[in-house]
Amino acid sequence: MTVTQAPPAKAEKRTEDVPGLLSRWQLFAVLACLVFAALTAGIQALSWNANRQAANNTEQLVRVQNIQSTLFRADALATTAFLTGGLEPPEQRAEYDEAIETVTRQIAEAAEAQPADRDALAALNTAVTDYNATIAQARANNRQGFPVGAEYLRTASTGLRNTAVEGSAIPIAQALVAANAERAEDELGAQHPYLILLPGLAALGVLYWVNRQIASRFRRRINVGLAAAFIAVGVLTVVGFFVAAVQAGNNNDLEDGSYATSYRESTARTAANDAKANESLRLISRGSGQVYEDKWVVASQTVEDNASSETLPFWADYVAVHDDVVRLDTEGQYDQAVKLSTTDTTLDAFDSRSQEVIADAGFETTDALRSGNTGILVLAFFTLAIGIAAAGAATWGIGLRRREYA
Amino acid sequence: MRRLVLAVATFALLAGCGYSDTEVPAAVTPEPAKVTPAPPCDDTGDPTRSYAPAGVTNGPTIAEIRERGFLRAGVSADSYLLGSRNPFTGQIEGFDIDMVNAIAAAIFGTAQGHVQLRVISAADRIPLLQSSELDIVARNMTINCSRWKDIAFSAEYFRSGQKVLVAQDSGIRSVADLSGKRVCAPSGTTSLDNIQQIAPDAIPVTAGNHTGCLLKFQNGEADAITGDDTVLAGLAAQDPYAEVLTGEALTDEPYGIGVNEDDVDLVQLINGVLEDMRADGSWQASYKKWLQPSLKAPATQPQPVYGR
Repeated sequence: MTVTQAPPAKAEKRTEDVPGLLSRWQLFAVLACLVFAALTAGIQALSWNANRQAANNTEQLVRVQNIQSTLFRADALATTAFLTGGLEPPEQRAEYDEAIETVTRQIAEAAEAQPADRDALAALNTAVTDYNATIAQARANNRQGFPVGAEYLRTASTGLRNTAVEGSAIPIAQALVAANAERAEDELGAQHPYLILLPGLAALGVLYWVNRQIASRFRRRINVGLAAAFIAVGVLTVVGFFVAAVQAGNNNDLEDGSYATSYRESTARTAANDAKANESLRLISRGSGQVYEDKWVVASQTVEDNASSETLPFWADYVAVHDDVVRLDTEGQYDQAVKLSTTDTTLDAFDSRSQEVIADAGFETTDALRSGNTGILVLAFFTLAIGIAAAGAATWGIGLRRREYA
Repeated sequence: MRRLVLAVATFALLAGCGYSDTEVPAAVTPEPAKVTPAPPCDDTGDPTRSYAPAGVTNGPTIAEIRERGFLRAGVSADSYLLGSRNPFTGQIEGFDIDMVNAIAAAIFGTAQGHVQLRVISAADRIPLLQSSELDIVARNMTINCSRWKDIAFSAEYFRSGQKVLVAQDSGIRSVADLSGKRVCAPSGTTSLDNIQQIAPDAIPVTAGNHTGCLLKFQNGEADAITGDDTVLAGLAAQDPYAEVLTGEALTDEPYGIGVNEDDVDLVQLINGVLEDMRADGSWQASYKKWLQPSLKAPATQPQPVYGR
């Protein structure tokens, strides 16, 4: 703290109402400390909350992306089982049922976790129920050998993705993914180190000015109480700035690191299951399946653009099998194409590895956000407490001068 | 102090729960598909007349098919009894498929391993023949004058006609009773116009195909379905609560095998096959197996008309 030598008190100043001035300066100093404490602690509480919300939103994002992927997985299982002909293999049926159960359970969990998603999740729940009911009709007709079963299956499958009808499952799931990704990213970017400097610098300015005013009227350059308050506010500001700066840096790293991995891998997993469903629909449509093959190509590109290095080799295995399926189908060996497509397990391998990557990356993100986040809250309480103490120190320091004067 | 904590808590709460609700995306209405009316036709002769067989068993098209090793046929996979996928075996079967197999057998000696079935929509029938991606189309295709401008047909192999399918207890006994009822037909067909000429207040409902209409019928979105009696018989066979109205058909629908207009040798071979099927009773056998149980009436193979 650098305070210039106060000039000797002049005779004419004696006519001033010094006790009145002291009271006013005291008020300024106390207000400066308290406002600093409240604002800084408030900003810190907000950044604590932003991290907490970022973690919650990331969890919700992982959840809704899982709902989306699992819906496509259920559809891929249903269409593939249909292709097998005859009675559905029991293990495939069990897998489908499990996928639908996962979806319904996660919709309930997601609605619990984020009130803003509730309406969309309720609509999604209705869409999933409709889808499941249509698949049940497909299955019932199929068991009796009626081709209308295939029509129910196609209706269910296209209805899942239909953007021309309000309340289709996949468009809703996509909206949920987009909304939660936006929320998570907003909260990840809600650390503002420079903002935290403002109340600190303002309080330091006021304290400096009050000290100068007092020094100009008394023969002491530095008021001990004001100096203590100045140092406390200064240290809190610097510490607050560094903590926020480090947190902002960490959050940036997370957003480009584990958060991005989880988000992109989920995108890849969704597209992968969409691709498999389209492969089955292509075969069900036999020669006129080109429309589904085109969708397969788009989905495959999405997987290649988003899958992590850990799952890409698994995807390549599946692509090789798919190429064989297409080759067999176009060469007229339809039955072999169906056999290969329905017995192949490379996509399952991709799916389970992908789920692991998503779970790990999602956990890494939320864990990083939560561990150490309490520190910010503790810092906010310290800022508040020490800020109030600084106000006390300023009061005491100016009180000394008042007694001296009296 | 307590107030401050409260203020901070409120602040935090406001920041955390202030998300706007995730919106359910609105429907994106696609552009409606344009229906192009059939071109006018000035051929006043019998549209069902085809090329006489003249004992042709070879020709450039047939040679090409033999060299390839299989016959490429466009069929339906959801017209029960005509051409549909058997869910138990995964195989496509039906009256139309029997025709395809008979033609393949005439070319290769046996149909086994020499047929590539391609499931196509009604709208794909003519374009895929014109681009020679298919050799034949056996997909309940009506022979008419305007189609003869684009492709060639075999002689008539079945005489169908437009009828109406309703629920058994619906009280609908004739086409006139359809007034105010929802009648379903595939989009882009003229069968709804025929209904509206008799029952102008019938409410048209469309679906992608006839099986899609059955789905709407079963889900209570349509009261009746109209289409060829063969197709409706297939639908009724899948639903114990549906029946096809008896009585005169609204239209005549002579079915023919569609072929590229340049492949006259193939048409001649097919017409020879149809004659053979009449002679050896295999047409009758196929009819009795697939269609007679649902149409509940015997039928005879139509007499061919030649002269093109």
